[in-house]
Amino acid sequence: MTDAKAPVSTAPVLAVDGLTIALPRGGDRAHAVEDVSFAIQRDEVVCLVGESGSGKSMIAHAILSLLPSGVRVAGGAVAVNGRDVARLSGSDLRAFRGGEAGMIFQEPLSSLNPLKRVGAQIAETIRTHQGALPRDAMRARVEGLLAQVGLPTPGLLARSYPFELSGGQRQRVMIAMAMANRPALLVADEPTTALDVTTQAQILRLIDDLRRERGMGVLLITHDFGVVADVADRVVVLRGGRVVETGSAEAVLRRPRDPYTRALIDAVPRARLRPPAPRPEGAPVLSVEDLRKTFTVRRGLFQPPRRVVAADGLSLSLHQGETLAVVGESGSGKSTLGRMIMRLTEPDGGAIRLGGEDLRSLDGEALRQARRGLQIVFQDPFASLDPRQKVGDAVARGPMAYGTPRREAMATARALLERVGLTAAAAERYPHEFSGGQRQRICIARALVLRPQVLIADEAVSALDVSVQAQVLALLAELRREMRLAMIFITHDLRIAAEIADRVIVLQKGRIVEEGATRDVFSAPREAYTRALLDAIPGRRFFEHPGFTREPVAPEVA
Amino acid sequence: MDALKAFLRHPSGMAGLVLILAVLALAASAPVLYPESPWEMVATPFAPPGEDGMRLGADTLGRDVAAGIAHGARVSLLIGVASALAALVIGVTVGALAGYAGGGLDAALMRMTELFQTIPAFVLAILLVATFTPSLATIVATIGAVSWPPLARLTRAEFLRLRRREFVEAAICQGERTARVVFGHVLPNAVSPILVTASLTVASAILIESALSFLGLGDPNMMSWGFMVGSARSSIRQAWWASVFPGLAILVTVLAINLFGEGLSDVLNPRIARRRG
Repeated sequence: MTDAKAPVSTAPVLAVDGLTIALPRGGDRAHAVEDVSFAIQRDEVVCLVGESGSGKSMIAHAILSLLPSGVRVAGGAVAVNGRDVARLSGSDLRAFRGGEAGMIFQEPLSSLNPLKRVGAQIAETIRTHQGALPRDAMRARVEGLLAQVGLPTPGLLARSYPFELSGGQRQRVMIAMAMANRPALLVADEPTTALDVTTQAQILRLIDDLRRERGMGVLLITHDFGVVADVADRVVVLRGGRVVETGSAEAVLRRPRDPYTRALIDAVPRARLRPPAPRPEGAPVLSVEDLRKTFTVRRGLFQPPRRVVAADGLSLSLHQGETLAVVGESGSGKSTLGRMIMRLTEPDGGAIRLGGEDLRSLDGEALRQARRGLQIVFQDPFASLDPRQKVGDAVARGPMAYGTPRREAMATARALLERVGLTAAAAERYPHEFSGGQRQRICIARALVLRPQVLIADEAVSALDVSVQAQVLALLAELRREMRLAMIFITHDLRIAAEIADRVIVLQKGRIVEEGATRDVFSAPREAYTRALLDAIPGRRFFEHPGFTREPVAPEVA
Repeated sequence: MDALKAFLRHPSGMAGLVLILAVLALAASAPVLYPESPWEMVATPFAPPGEDGMRLGADTLGRDVAAGIAHGARVSLLIGVASALAALVIGVTVGALAGYAGGGLDAALMRMTELFQTIPAFVLAILLVATFTPSLATIVATIGAVSWPPLARLTRAEFLRLRRREFVEAAICQGERTARVVFGHVLPNAVSPILVTASLTVASAILIESALSFLGLGDPNMMSWGFMVGSARSSIRQAWWASVFPGLAILVTVLAINLFGEGLSDVLNPRIARRRG
């Protein structure tokens, strides 16, 4: 059974003491983490913050004894409720995982068995730890848990398969599973990174409510100081496997002692709203008129097909040198809009005009020629470069496809790689030798080598660490000025939208619900949906900025 | 060449490669080792191994089994590789068209593939060879025609997966022509699983050829391992060597190619490798 009824003790729920984790030989460093110590008390949320590669996930895995093979604990100890985790084995270890300690991972889809109904999966967790229950009692328990994590119609939901749920619903199911056995400790590894802002805010609130209700200790791993500001009691900042700073959230956020911590906090986009640039005169570079797209998903033989409206009469126009942010929750159709403009997804109706030419009426060679003026940077820097192509070729092939001789194209590519902050020597290397941020720079060079009039950035910085995000955004802003680029910036992060865009479009279910100059929309939103998106921005309380307060308008903006 | 280095450290893959090289060497040196035709009756019928100058004995008609095996290696390897290549050409073309074009063409090509898959491959092979006169060309064409569906399905699956990948879409957006996108980005990234399956197709082609020859449907002018097993099977109790040694040759060759193929799979697809060093 669980320790839920154990007498309240003063011993911490989790004590990590001098933990050192050794990596297999031949890696880029000998230890994933070195001499890490911290503790979590009952009813306390501790955030472990660090950039990718800082070893934060390794600590989570060590706590649950889930380290990948070849990686081992080389020193120190992890104790949960006073018990040394390393000493547990076999059935004790299984009882511990999912019993005393629950875990939530970043990607809820891959953590759920796709072939089993979610109710059955939760029931299995309960059965493993508490033995079989009568059918009705079990069903009541499962539905009770689903209701507790805020899912509507728990009865219906328990009978659904994971793929039928949205990302946020899946993460709630994962939380229900982690909660099933009243754990003393909840380890959440980037639980909201794959979710959009509003869902992220809901999930964080849910975790916070549950820990208050149950007095759990929560270890929340994140790279986002906005999240830290919202939920953490205490913070542990990790860099390259070492703790650089630890303390109460308030102290660390307000008075960071370590320069690295300060840099991380400063890198959080502040949504400094700039006065809107005067709207350029003349004809727009790109105009989209009444774009429509409905996706039809065929389901079973006897079920009607599911129809998802991704674009319901979208119109927009973009002038030279202007940046337009497209924001909205996931499923609002913002990526589809970008893909339709690129003609990667065929719209059902409407027109896309680039410099007076309707892209939709073109195909074959004419479309290929027109594409020159329109380029895109994708979200995932790891998927968007051909692993078998040298970086220089990746950049140079664009001009070569339009007839530039190879030597000349390669020279342009090298110059551009230098311009985006890499060395010319990078041209001779393969994508896997670069970090995420560097790869995104390569993708930007690849998109800009054709000197497009319009650049579409589809969540181009969402997959990057906050500090890298800031650098890539700065680069984009520079290049935009330099090349007089018109840019469509698709993002779910309103902080970034505020930072970079002149105008913003708010999308909901394929429809534009609000549109206007960024400063107007963000400081005085007209629609409830926009307000909800703004309220959901992590860390608003802390990173409060005049642009974001709805109450008395701050003097510097007014 | 990381893949090459990794393969050199792969024990079973290297064992397979060494065996394949040995069979190749045997096939190459057959005219030197046994300059006379393997059909020549050179010894007392049923001479056991070691007697009458026959290292592996003689068969019913006094033909040298060792000479048959050496010359048969040429036939088996030639037919194995040639028909795997034929299957590769058909399979990759069909799969690539279906996977990249999608839509109606995909549906039509896949129905055709299923049609081939529902007919037992070996029965279809017998039917085809029996209809056309058995010769090297018809046998290669036949084995190719019955072996391509798995390659087509694999290629289609890889193309479907890769076509939606962002680097392929980026190439399209950069204005590369369709042929360049397919041959420059999609195919090279699909090549490892296709190569692995193709190498295993060589092994199954050798088996089909042996089975056809066993049934007397081989090229009558070429000494083949399957034919040797088939013709000696009635006298297996008097002269086991005449069928066992060619049988072993088939076993070793097919095993070697399979080991090689799996080694290749481990090296080229490290993500799904069963074990890593």
